[in-house]
Amino acid sequence: MSALSRFTCEETFRRLDDYLDRELTADEMRLVGEHLEICAACASEFNFEESVLTGVKRKLRQLDLPDDLQARVAAALVKASGS
Amino acid sequence: MTATKDIAGQGPTPVATPAQRASLGTGEFQVLLAQILPAAYGYALRLARSRADAEDLVQEAALNAFRGQRGFEAGTNFKAWYFRILTNCFWSKRRQDQRRPRSVDLDDTPDLYLYTRSAEHGLPQDGADPASLLLDRIGTGRVVEAIAQLPEEFRVASILYFMEDFTYHEIAEILGVPVGTIRSRLHRGRKMLQKTLWQGALEAGIVSAGQVEAEAEVDPPGANV
Repeated sequence: MSALSRFTCEETFRRLDDYLDRELTADEMRLVGEHLEICAACASEFNFEESVLTGVKRKLRQLDLPDDLQARVAAALVKASGS
Repeated sequence: MTATKDIAGQGPTPVATPAQRASLGTGEFQVLLAQILPAAYGYALRLARSRADAEDLVQEAALNAFRGQRGFEAGTNFKAWYFRILTNCFWSKRRQDQRRPRSVDLDDTPDLYLYTRSAEHGLPQDGADPASLLLDRIGTGRVVEAIAQLPEEFRVASILYFMEDFTYHEIAEILGVPVGTIRSRLHRGRKMLQKTLWQGALEAGIVSAGQVEAEAEVDPPGANV
């Protein structure tokens, strides 16, 4: 594999957020993934950052949906359609 | 009130067909809306930070969407379209509301803030889910508060990202700004969020000079804020 077909730690780190959000091209995703397989330091950082994002999502998504919201919205739409 | 559950991030992305658009009646519109209502309420609640205001937002957006459904392009993302209307309703109310929460200015936050601070405090950084212990001890309430403290444009983009797993492109579509702007807001926003979370942990005594306090708050199962 030539040097051009590998990412350095710096090139990998620059793509951290986009990689975790799957916003890179397929080639970039592959190159970052390959770097993480051989670089424990970067892998540790990426793993931690992914864990933070996952944890924040999990906590923010714990919600109660009011039982009557659906019915109230439906009633409002029926009323609006008749007016 | 239903039992606490994860109501966000898993909703379908309904797409109205051209045939539906031509004859979208109240019932058909309701079917499309019903599929995304839990997600919409979750988004609205994190935006408005009040259950009553969130319910008002969802209902107002539903009425606006129903009345303006000719503006919906068949075959496109109904959920993104409705979320854009809901966001506009929020901005409209926001402009009239002078009681805005304090926001933080943390734009100089370095990368890997929590990772670095965790290392300095001897917290685990490896394993299947290394940040879970820290976030569990920080607690849902402080996570919600940390999001709320982000400057408004970072906060709204971040809520769309964390609550619904929208792509950058979808968030850009909802907020009507370029994708590059969303990328920047999300990346900077999560750095600010990490610093705010750490500050909250310090202020609450969850982390001290050397370790995670064993007696710190831990969310009970099913906790919701």
